[in-house]
Amino acid sequence: MGEHEPSGIFEKTFDGLLGQDIYFWNFIILMIFTLAEVGAVFFEGIPLNVVWAILIGVGVVKGYGIAAYFMHLKGDPRVYTRTALFPVLFVLLMLWGIGLSNPGAVGDLPAWCTPFSDGYAMNR
Amino acid sequence: MSGGEAHVENIIWMRAVVWGGVFLVLGVLAFATMGVGVANVKHHDYEDALHAYDEAKEVYYDAKNAYELAEGDNNTTAAELSALKTAKENAETAYKDAHDDEIEAHLSYLTWRTAGVTILLMCITYAAFLALGGFVNSIQPSDDHGHDDHHYGGDDHEHHGSGSPIVFSLGIMLFLMGFPKFQAVLGNMLSGEEFMLGDLGVSMIGLTVITLGIANWWREDLPFIGNGEQIATSAPFEGQHIRKAGLWVFIMSEIMVFASFFSSYLRMRTGWCTKWSYDEGTCREFPNMVINSHEEHPDFVMTASDYLRPDGAAGTGDFWTLLPGAVNTFALIISSYTIVLALKTAKAKNWEAPKGALGKLMPTQKAAVRNYLLATFLLGSMFIVLKLIEWSHLVAEGFTIGTQAGSIFYISTGAHGLHVFVGLLVMLYLVFKADTVGYDENNGQGIEYFGLYWHFVDLAWVVIFPAFYLY
Repeated sequence: MGEHEPSGIFEKTFDGLLGQDIYFWNFIILMIFTLAEVGAVFFEGIPLNVVWAILIGVGVVKGYGIAAYFMHLKGDPRVYTRTALFPVLFVLLMLWGIGLSNPGAVGDLPAWCTPFSDGYAMNR
Repeated sequence: MSGGEAHVENIIWMRAVVWGGVFLVLGVLAFATMGVGVANVKHHDYEDALHAYDEAKEVYYDAKNAYELAEGDNNTTAAELSALKTAKENAETAYKDAHDDEIEAHLSYLTWRTAGVTILLMCITYAAFLALGGFVNSIQPSDDHGHDDHHYGGDDHEHHGSGSPIVFSLGIMLFLMGFPKFQAVLGNMLSGEEFMLGDLGVSMIGLTVITLGIANWWREDLPFIGNGEQIATSAPFEGQHIRKAGLWVFIMSEIMVFASFFSSYLRMRTGWCTKWSYDEGTCREFPNMVINSHEEHPDFVMTASDYLRPDGAAGTGDFWTLLPGAVNTFALIISSYTIVLALKTAKAKNWEAPKGALGKLMPTQKAAVRNYLLATFLLGSMFIVLKLIEWSHLVAEGFTIGTQAGSIFYISTGAHGLHVFVGLLVMLYLVFKADTVGYDENNGQGIEYFGLYWHFVDLAWVVIFPAFYLY
């Protein structure tokens, strides 16, 4: 956590507000979003698209708050941000390639990985 | 020991041994009060509730049978039938209430029992970790303290590098090599079956190597006051602290570990016919019909959120099962902030004690750093206790690791919990150092690097919590 000059709208707005630093305000914002997230879990009959909005929206905001300010990627040299982002490509590939592309689930995978991928492994 | 390090007397390590004793006493006290005292009272209540439930069930079936017999009997008057129907309805209400009371009493008993046992096991681990590490270091020759005499890269400054992680890793490897037999022996011991003590050998050697590696790591780090931090000399981290760069690379690999859990979960989840996907009309095949509680309904795959949420399809979701996960989410965010405060306090050049009650808790900069770390440690420990309470409730409600949905839930949240627990063991040492040598602006990076790991654990929970508790 090195010292650095405030940069960006969030930091310029909040750093020093009411005598509190950027970490305090980041914490408050994280708490508010956590409250929304936890509140949604207790809420009955929540539609699936709202669930996905919370899943992605709150996740992105909280993830950014933690990584940028608490893990201090915003003030540290860019090489750390690049290091942190390096696995994102693989994560996206994994989520798309394994997680979402084939809801046929595990049973279909052996056929993909087999020569003449025509169900040979399943039928022989 | 060189002039670039703090002077650390052997006797200081005995403080770690004393702390170990304190943890052991705290663990035994917590177990005696929560795990035995309160839990036994709750178990008595549970048995009463179970007895009441059995009686209410019997009364209900008697009333139901009487009503059904009367219904088929032409001699029964309308008034008699009405009275029997009312009696059946009253018995049914009492039966359902008794069932709810029995479940509540069972979960209440599990809460106290699990809390007591978990705190005891955690305290035993903390005690063993501190006492063994402290003892091994306290018996070292006095002149052996501090760093090795090797020089790095031909420069004359002593560096803060260490070979202990390699020893530690070797210990982990040995422990895991022997783990299958280790757990089989433990299982046999607990169930009273025969076992070969020799089967514990490889794992015990592993644990010994781990302990020695950690103890040596502590001994090397404790006198560190900020001199000799190794700097990377080549791209891409040229000019950066090697330890920090190493930690980021480690976090990078950890991201992949959790991504693999998450993508596995997504893959299975998108293929399951859950209540949600059924309602949305996205099930690939119509599920089989099953009869449960006298009602026919599709055989959905029950996910963690079905058991946890109040409107979950399992119908078992209750406030007390969902509460631990909710509290834990706040606990992790707060603990992330307390470790930021610990680092900020350590690095502060003109620190002033806060006014009021907080000032009494943190009269000096050194005490403030220690207490912020201690707060982080307590929040993390609470996370583990609540996590296991939640698991005990879920298992009691039928959501076990034997199901597909259960396996991915317990493996993902369990891997996360393991990361929290490992972080707590490291934090024990940070609290110890903060209390002895202390952290300041020169050596505060120890807190910063640990903080990176701790924030990552928080970040992983940001994904896990909504994915399993909400979705």
